[in-house]
Amino acid sequence: MSVEKQKAIALSMTEMVFSGNRFANYLWIFPLAFGFAVWEIVTRIGLVPSSNLPTFSSVLVVFLASIQNQTFLLRIGYSFMNLVCGLLLAFSIALPLAFVAGSKNNFDLTLTPIIMLFGALPDLSFLPLLVLWLGPGSAAAVIMASVAGFFPIYFTVREGTRSIPRELFEVTSIFKSDRFSTFTKMVLPAISPHMFSGLRLAYDFAWEIIIAIEIATRMAGIGDFIDGNVSSGSLASGFAAILAIAIVAIVVDRAFFGSLESWTKRWA
Amino acid sequence: MENHVELSKVSKFYNASKRLHALHEISFNVGHGEFVSIVGPSGCGKSTLLKIIAGLDSPTSGEVRFRGGPIHGPHQKISMVFQAFGLFPWRTVLENVEYGLEMQGVPKQERRGSAREYLGMVGLAGYEDMYPKQLSGGMRQRVGIARALAVEPEVVLMDEAFSAIDEVTAEVLREEVTEIHRQTGKTFVLVTHNLSEAIELADKVVVLSSRPAKVKKIVPISLDRPRDRTHSMFVHMHMDILHLLKEELENTFIRHKLKGIPELQEIHDMELTHNNEESKKTLITT
Repeated sequence: MSVEKQKAIALSMTEMVFSGNRFANYLWIFPLAFGFAVWEIVTRIGLVPSSNLPTFSSVLVVFLASIQNQTFLLRIGYSFMNLVCGLLLAFSIALPLAFVAGSKNNFDLTLTPIIMLFGALPDLSFLPLLVLWLGPGSAAAVIMASVAGFFPIYFTVREGTRSIPRELFEVTSIFKSDRFSTFTKMVLPAISPHMFSGLRLAYDFAWEIIIAIEIATRMAGIGDFIDGNVSSGSLASGFAAILAIAIVAIVVDRAFFGSLESWTKRWA
Repeated sequence: MENHVELSKVSKFYNASKRLHALHEISFNVGHGEFVSIVGPSGCGKSTLLKIIAGLDSPTSGEVRFRGGPIHGPHQKISMVFQAFGLFPWRTVLENVEYGLEMQGVPKQERRGSAREYLGMVGLAGYEDMYPKQLSGGMRQRVGIARALAVEPEVVLMDEAFSAIDEVTAEVLREEVTEIHRQTGKTFVLVTHNLSEAIELADKVVVLSSRPAKVKKIVPISLDRPRDRTHSMFVHMHMDILHLLKEELENTFIRHKLKGIPELQEIHDMELTHNNEESKKTLITT
């Protein structure tokens, strides 16, 4: 075999591994697997005491058992529902406000400084008050999640609205679009790339807040489950719960936001 | 030729204080099926004038009449082609062309049909399912033209429709617009800073003065189509109009310098930075 040919084959093989979509999209598995392997080894050989870190394999075993346990799944579902309700609330308030702020300068100057002021406060500082008023239940969790989700949605949608070229508004006027169609058929798609990244951020923020609230107020949910298990010494259960959250978070992120973004990528 | 669009004493002031006088008592008529080009020094308000004709903006005084009646807001029979094409990037080529008909409530099958027809007219058959980002500037403007024609307007307004396209493509597109004008007999009003373009396309050229814009001269162009830019008559007209515009450009500089009003100066500077490219192009291409 000639050197050129060998080179060509080697090149095409590297291309297959590193840039061919099939493989390149799953390259992240390697460092992840490596991390888990290191975890398994350091716990097996006793480098880290098992009272601090259970072995990875024991976490997997507990995880596989947990996901067949109804209460475990219900706890995750409960946290997830609070999160989704919070995000819906945040979205329904932030979207119209941000749209008006993005299109009417005086409204923006009236509202946005105040929103920035509240945004600068740590969200969790309101928590004791909310719990005092509403009790440590879903209501408080939903509201906190919506507060956390509000800011990224508000600022991205406002920015998206501002960046709509004036010409596109003229196009809707020339072709006699009514206000409703202008909003649904022009403004919404135009701001969607901004809006989706805002929603994605809001989703991340809301997860953090939900878990924090559950731990802080011992509210039923997966956060409380982690806290309870870790403090009672069943670290493997705690890790299994974290793993479950990670999977839910990633799957939703990929499936929901990923598909939204792949739609915008087609044209944007 | 019966008047299709009439402008009578259209004036426009900007700002609540009415300090900025953009258009001053502009009157001219556009006949049925006539192609009128509007030229003027950069920033004189010619695009504003077109927007007033389109009903996107309203005059401070005076009025625009369409088929004898005054215009209040956009009219279904007046359509527009935009400088930056004005396409919706999330819509395919076909969906973009359909847009106007969709807003009129035309059923899907029907509007698909006419959208395809007009896409064919501008030479974009086969590109229906592409997104605007996949097309070149010239092709995007073809979509813009097809969209404007698809609503079957009587008047097509073009706002610097060829200025964001490379010169060779623009030339081809101008020839096609001339052909569309001939075939459809629609009325066209084109705003442009490109003098050759104005003369090449129009039955008459309205020359505006610098701000506040007044009608400086209306030049009828009676050359046979297709027009040859090297034809001596063409060259003569070009030189005449260029002379008028240069006069205006100088007037503007002198006036601003003499007055030295800070606001005006500021506005002028803005125009200079904003339209620098445009002014350069005017000088080069003309």
